[in-house]
Amino acid sequence: MTRARRLHVLTGVALAVLTTIAVLVNQRDVGIARDEVVYMEYSAHYAAWWRGLVTFDHGISAKTITATWGGPAATDNNREHPPLMKEMFGMSQWLLHDVLHVCSELTAARAPAAATHGLAVGLVFAFALELFGFGEAILAGLLLLLLPRALFHAGLACFDAPIMTWWFATVLAYYRALDGRRWPWLVGVMFGCALATKHTAVLLPFALGVHYLWLGWRARAEDPARRWTLLVTHRWRVIVSLAVLGPLVLFVLWPWLWIAPITHVAQWMSFHLTHVHYNYEYLGHNWNAPRFPWHVALVTTLLTVPVVTLAAALVGLGRWLGLRGTLPRAPLLLLVLSFGASIGPFLLGTTPIFGAEKHWMPALPTLCLAGACGIGWATRALAAAVVAWRPAWSEAVTRQTLLLALGGMVTLAAATETITAQPYALTSYNALAGGAPGGADLGMNRQFWGVAVRGVLPLLAAEPPPVGPQPRFIYTHDASPAWGLYQKLGLAPRWLADAGHEDAGVAHSDVALVVHELHFNRHDYMIWQGYRSVKPTYVLRSDGVPIVSVYERPASPLP
Amino acid sequence: MLPGRTALAAAPAVVLFVLGAWETCATREAATSVPGDPAWDEAAATVRARYAAGDLIVFAPDWVDPVGRLHLGDLIPLEMAGRMDAARYGRIWELSIRGAHAPEVVGLTPVTSGDYAGVRVRLFERPAATVTADVLEHVTDARADGPLRPGLVFGEVGFAPHRCVQIVPHGGTPVRITFPQLALGTELVGYVGLADVFTRRDVRTPVELDVEIGGKLVASAKPGVDDGWVRFAAPTTPGPTDVVFIARAAESNRLVCFAAEARK
Repeated sequence: MTRARRLHVLTGVALAVLTTIAVLVNQRDVGIARDEVVYMEYSAHYAAWWRGLVTFDHGISAKTITATWGGPAATDNNREHPPLMKEMFGMSQWLLHDVLHVCSELTAARAPAAATHGLAVGLVFAFALELFGFGEAILAGLLLLLLPRALFHAGLACFDAPIMTWWFATVLAYYRALDGRRWPWLVGVMFGCALATKHTAVLLPFALGVHYLWLGWRARAEDPARRWTLLVTHRWRVIVSLAVLGPLVLFVLWPWLWIAPITHVAQWMSFHLTHVHYNYEYLGHNWNAPRFPWHVALVTTLLTVPVVTLAAALVGLGRWLGLRGTLPRAPLLLLVLSFGASIGPFLLGTTPIFGAEKHWMPALPTLCLAGACGIGWATRALAAAVVAWRPAWSEAVTRQTLLLALGGMVTLAAATETITAQPYALTSYNALAGGAPGGADLGMNRQFWGVAVRGVLPLLAAEPPPVGPQPRFIYTHDASPAWGLYQKLGLAPRWLADAGHEDAGVAHSDVALVVHELHFNRHDYMIWQGYRSVKPTYVLRSDGVPIVSVYERPASPLP
Repeated sequence: MLPGRTALAAAPAVVLFVLGAWETCATREAATSVPGDPAWDEAAATVRARYAAGDLIVFAPDWVDPVGRLHLGDLIPLEMAGRMDAARYGRIWELSIRGAHAPEVVGLTPVTSGDYAGVRVRLFERPAATVTADVLEHVTDARADGPLRPGLVFGEVGFAPHRCVQIVPHGGTPVRITFPQLALGTELVGYVGLADVFTRRDVRTPVELDVEIGGKLVASAKPGVDDGWVRFAAPTTPGPTDVVFIARAAESNRLVCFAAEARK
């Protein structure tokens, strides 16, 4: 390994490790997402099953598989989501929490998502290094690390950040496999990991397929005798790898497919193709049924990615247009297609939008690579201008100095956005929107999954416990699934028990929480009626924007 | 002097640098731009000093409402929070931030105004509507044809709180609700909407509400799932008269909510 190569590898690894640490540190203040509770529960079961299998505690039978991985109903044992990340969450919980006792079970469950996010940054660094150079590679990695919402999602035991990693790993492996190597196995394995992470991986072949056909179209000219067959067969081993190894990896990782694989894959896809539309506020309107505005994904991206990253990406895209057709294997086209395949379905007006940016996270590496390329190109142009003005100055030194200055400024801006956004990044919007208050003014979605409740737990824990054995009860609506875990982790007081659901829960409660989303206003109104008061006792805010209200049942309600 | 093309080529870097500097500052400025509790305490103290029973207190923009209620919620009875509209209130306090205006005071001129570290307090006075009858106070007297019974509820309509008469008609079968001998004034004003965000999501067709006085159709409204709280009005002849509200829904499970006031 050359010295330069060693430096590159060390830098890539350092960025990946830095990212993983940043995510792990950040997630400490992030509340438990509603879905995390479900994933954590089943991840423990999945991991136990695998451990039982290798220790011969049980064998492989339809009965043992169904008991852990499936069942007759669509959501039995969380069979509507493929298993890879859940298996990793479960193994991590077992190893880091149960065996090594180095962290809480929540952090242990979240650690694999953090690590895969670090991997994403490392891979983006590697691709940028291959395409643009060392400086751009560092910048590309930093731009991906410094995305406020991506950093937030990477700290959850969910699939949205990991699918970005596996998606991009597939893109990179595919690009490298196109060099004509004899055994392009990695691309198939990565695609299998993507499929085993989240259903959106099925969109990836649209990007790869178009790119592959484009290269085949260009290859036709080289061998007129095989004009049409070359279109498909010019790198046929890559196709075989994707088509055989991808599904095979999914199959191996998901025991639920070991029985009735076709039926179970069909059920998996069917669940997501007919998914219920949750409520989502966008530009002042609550959307819960199609048709959705075609621009949701574009405007949401425009208002959640740091402005300077977007602007740099725009410059980079201009540069890419100038470079079109000049790079072997058309990597820039591949990146643009990857972006399009990820975000494109959300322009249709019928694809569920409720998860917003987390649903099209695989588009983000393209943005960051374009941004880094844009900064590099803009710096070179500025350096040329400066040297034209001061011919005595060294162009190389000038360029490096300017790259440091411009890269530093871009990084500072993106870091400011990212740090300001935490730990309530779902409420945060970029400077173009006017931050969290600007996002609220625009009627953009306030948050989802009930994570902000974490912020009022210290207040509740500071309350004196009730006198006597009777607990007090709290109404938490969408944070209710997480309440038991909050108590188990020692974040919520044991004497404050979950009151139950809807009007009965409010009636039974002494304390009530409302997580502010437009469609959750109804919880406020239930509490007002139940408590005969509209006055909260505390309002948690993110940059001034209300995210959770706390009510206490008044001793003597208003008349 | 640089050649024009060279200078132009340098522009993206300069723009990115300036944009980065702006974003760094703007992000921090936005994060600290919303007035905190000390400002609200001061503004609330101003309101309390001149508050009179029955004054309406509103907040703007909508999203700051929880903070406003944190500081002044004890002066907002449930009936006021779930009001049909603001017409019956002669004095309205508006507390707002970021230059926002509450819809209740649009077109009115403030009699006093003050700014408390970003929280603007304005008092508006105007002649209040005189209500001669409110259907919400006569729900127990109301007669409905068939087995359905209207109820008085406090619920969410158009993501806002409203006290209203709720009826859930069977799909395709109108329900007539008669308020006998309602003391009418010169105008009947009402609002209607569909309650509950989830039934609005699952059943997307609009509903209809007609109003008959003396057997004659005087007003009609057809709120859809995204229309919120829809106003209707009709001129009336003063005196006690039967007023009939007819709710129609093409499909079942529509939570039709309405309120109406007879005004002098």
